[in-house]
Amino acid sequence: MGYEPLVKQNPLRVLKIGTENAREMGLVMARPGLGKTALLVQIALDSILRGNRVIHVSIGESIDKTRCRYDDILRTILQEYSVSQPHELIEMVQHHRMIMTFKESVFSRAKLEERLNDLIMQNIFKPNCLVIDGFDFESVDRESLADLKDLANMMSMQFWFSAVTHRDDKRKSSSGVPAPCHEVDDLFDTVILLKPEGSNIRLDIVRNNGKANGSGVCLDLDSSTMMIKQS
Amino acid sequence: MRRDLTKVRNIGISAHIDSGKTTLTERILFYTQRIHAIHEVRGKDGVGATMDSMALEKERGITIQSAATYCNWQGYDINIIDTPGHVDFTIEVERALRVLDGAVLILCSVGGVQSQSITVNRQMSRYKVPRIAFINKCDRTGANPYRVTQQIRDKLGLNAVMLQLPIGLENDLEGVIDLVTMKAVYFDGDQGETIRLEEIPAHMQAEADEKREELLDAVSMFSDELMEVIIEEQTPSEDLVREAIRRGTLSLELAPVIIGSAYKNKGIQPLLDAVNAYLPCPTDVENTALDLDNDEKEVQVSNDADDPLVALAFKLEDGRYGQLTYIRTYQGTLKKGDTIVNSRTGKKVKIGRLVRLHADEMEEIEEAGSGDILALFGIDCASGDTFCGAGISWSMSSMHVPSPVISLAIKPKDNKTQTNVSKALNRFGKEDPTFKSFVDHETNETIISGMGELHLEVYIERMKREYNAEVEVGAPRVAYRETITKRAEFNYTHKKQTGGSGQFGRVGGYLEPLEEGEYEFDDKIVGGVIPREFIPSCDKGFRKCLQKGKLTGSPITGIRVVINDGSSHAVDSSDVAFQLAAIGAFNEGYAKAGPVIMEPIMKVAVEGPSEFQGAVMGSLNQRRGVIVGTFEEGNYTVVEAEMPLAEMFGYSTTLRSLTQGKAEFTMELSSYKKVPKSVADELIKAFEEEKKNK
Repeated sequence: MGYEPLVKQNPLRVLKIGTENAREMGLVMARPGLGKTALLVQIALDSILRGNRVIHVSIGESIDKTRCRYDDILRTILQEYSVSQPHELIEMVQHHRMIMTFKESVFSRAKLEERLNDLIMQNIFKPNCLVIDGFDFESVDRESLADLKDLANMMSMQFWFSAVTHRDDKRKSSSGVPAPCHEVDDLFDTVILLKPEGSNIRLDIVRNNGKANGSGVCLDLDSSTMMIKQS
Repeated sequence: MRRDLTKVRNIGISAHIDSGKTTLTERILFYTQRIHAIHEVRGKDGVGATMDSMALEKERGITIQSAATYCNWQGYDINIIDTPGHVDFTIEVERALRVLDGAVLILCSVGGVQSQSITVNRQMSRYKVPRIAFINKCDRTGANPYRVTQQIRDKLGLNAVMLQLPIGLENDLEGVIDLVTMKAVYFDGDQGETIRLEEIPAHMQAEADEKREELLDAVSMFSDELMEVIIEEQTPSEDLVREAIRRGTLSLELAPVIIGSAYKNKGIQPLLDAVNAYLPCPTDVENTALDLDNDEKEVQVSNDADDPLVALAFKLEDGRYGQLTYIRTYQGTLKKGDTIVNSRTGKKVKIGRLVRLHADEMEEIEEAGSGDILALFGIDCASGDTFCGAGISWSMSSMHVPSPVISLAIKPKDNKTQTNVSKALNRFGKEDPTFKSFVDHETNETIISGMGELHLEVYIERMKREYNAEVEVGAPRVAYRETITKRAEFNYTHKKQTGGSGQFGRVGGYLEPLEEGEYEFDDKIVGGVIPREFIPSCDKGFRKCLQKGKLTGSPITGIRVVINDGSSHAVDSSDVAFQLAAIGAFNEGYAKAGPVIMEPIMKVAVEGPSEFQGAVMGSLNQRRGVIVGTFEEGNYTVVEAEMPLAEMFGYSTTLRSLTQGKAEFTMELSSYKKVPKSVADELIKAFEEEKKNK
């Protein structure tokens, strides 16, 4: 299809994370403004390029804003990496992605399950992957998160979450996952931390598909596209 | 007597469908004693609201044409334009906004910021219209003005500040607390006509104090004086606070929020006070015109009654006594008997009758000053024309006119109605620039086109009622377009040299897709192989081809034609020969350039209770739609989708039966996209059949 450059520079492919293991819970953590959403979008795009369908769940943001994120990132990527048929790529992304936005107070497993069932039963949209942005880890209890994991399992889908960390909150789990997720980190199969490093963003893998990452593999990413920095 | 312009307000009222614009206007007219009884939009008395004067409007309970009216509140002259809410009549809204200085944006306290509110807000921003938000229907179950205020901030990006708090909500709505005067306001009497001011109820004092603090915080940035008073921890005077709110509103950086319920007669008088206090008068707003004598240089209108007249005709209507022209004056004075010049045509016209309008009743006046909205009788002009006084030739900037997306073939029932139909079409076309009609010479059908199904339906209905012209209506057609997808060469020789004067011309070059714009012609001929004088002939030939594409007969857009080769004959080459050569060349290239059919894609938003979301998505999915996203808040959801217009015919009926009438949808043109192959094949087949049958 001519999208190879996009695939090659995508950090997820290089690190072999988020691959075919469908029932996975992933987590992207960073301080505000470092590009959690951008990485989630990148995860979604990667999944779409594999021929999957993705639902982007946005809690507390509008449809338009979320859509703009995709458009912006896609546009920046297309400027940097030439693709033979950009219009078709954009169109394909549109057809393989759906946005669900919820007001903070409305989001729950029951609601999400109902919506997903609506889509799947009527054969409107069958997602393989869900990215959930804006999930409030500060006030969530273990039980409801486990409940969501259960849902991911039941539906055979990948769920990716983003969580905000804070500079002055030093709590950490034994495996090195910072607050606010330090107490629920065992629910996640993959945990990625984003850290600023100069003008780039360093991607730090705490855990990859259940295995602790001892060797400390890191990648430098372009902060605007979340693609691997071309050297 | 000269009017004090600071006491004139030209305001518009616009909002989402069924937010209660007309109901509100009815109340305003009642309280300002323009009418003596309130008639509801769908009232049992069968009279219908005063502003909905067209029979059709009364029947359907919607406003189609914007009506103009005038009233007086506390010594201020207020001209009100009540504008339609339906997106099909957007042009009416746009026109009204062009001539208004300020606007009241009505929002439903339950539905909040709905899709049409966003469209209207965008239009207001385009014309830089300062606005007040009125949160209506606070008596309804589920009313939450606080949430709506937050939505105004989030979705419309306006700095919304509540000037009032509700005392009780839903069924218990009693009145409002005015945060400027810090008084509770109640509306007594059968129709809320008596205002009773009281102390703020004890249980609300704390909230009121807190909200007032917020209000002062927000508005103090617009007034240093107010800021100082607050820093010194003194209580600012009411006038000081009002002045700051006014400044913020005029600079478009603040949107005051008023709450109430028009249906329950609550909160209307404070809204009128707010219109007087915070919306601009004609001199507060800068309006510019283009000076036609001076290379269309921008000039500012003065608003001075002594300067030569500048007035804009923004709406035409054929009434019982000939054409009625709505105009807004920007400077100078309009007097009965004066002669004014239409700056577009240069024609002089004499003002016969000058009237002030009140829906379909009118009041004759002798003269009108600057900044007024009124109507003239018996003047021939098109909508958007500017009239000037002696010595100047200015034109108010043109208005944004969207192009039609849907068309219908109509056939008069018999020969007699034919004349009436053409009369009607002629008038509608003058009144409404988004409504177009033409005769297709190949099929001999009359085609009308417009902004949506309802839009055309209304005109067909009006033809029947007002012109007694019954027509047979064909199925609605989408305005398809054709375009090319790749570059293709052409090299065509047109030759007819068999006796008599011959024709000869050869044109070579290529076609290629054009990203932006409709058509570009590029002449790269060197060495005069096509003589200079025949280059325009080639262009003309290509343009002819653009009118009807080869696939479905739809217009071709997004194409660039480059000519770089050719040959001519000293005697036989002519204008006609090169036109024909260009046509042949185009056809040759077009077939090779991967032509495709494009269709209008609409951005559709369906809003309604959450329980129907699944059903709504299902119905959109069946119609070739791409669901872009969903939004959920409480028990209310919005589904946004991109839908081909062709699949949206009759959707309102489907939606109604799916959701027990509880959901509604709006749509607007988003883009043109390639038609999927299966559909394209059908369209091409249908077009070929049609050609054969001729």
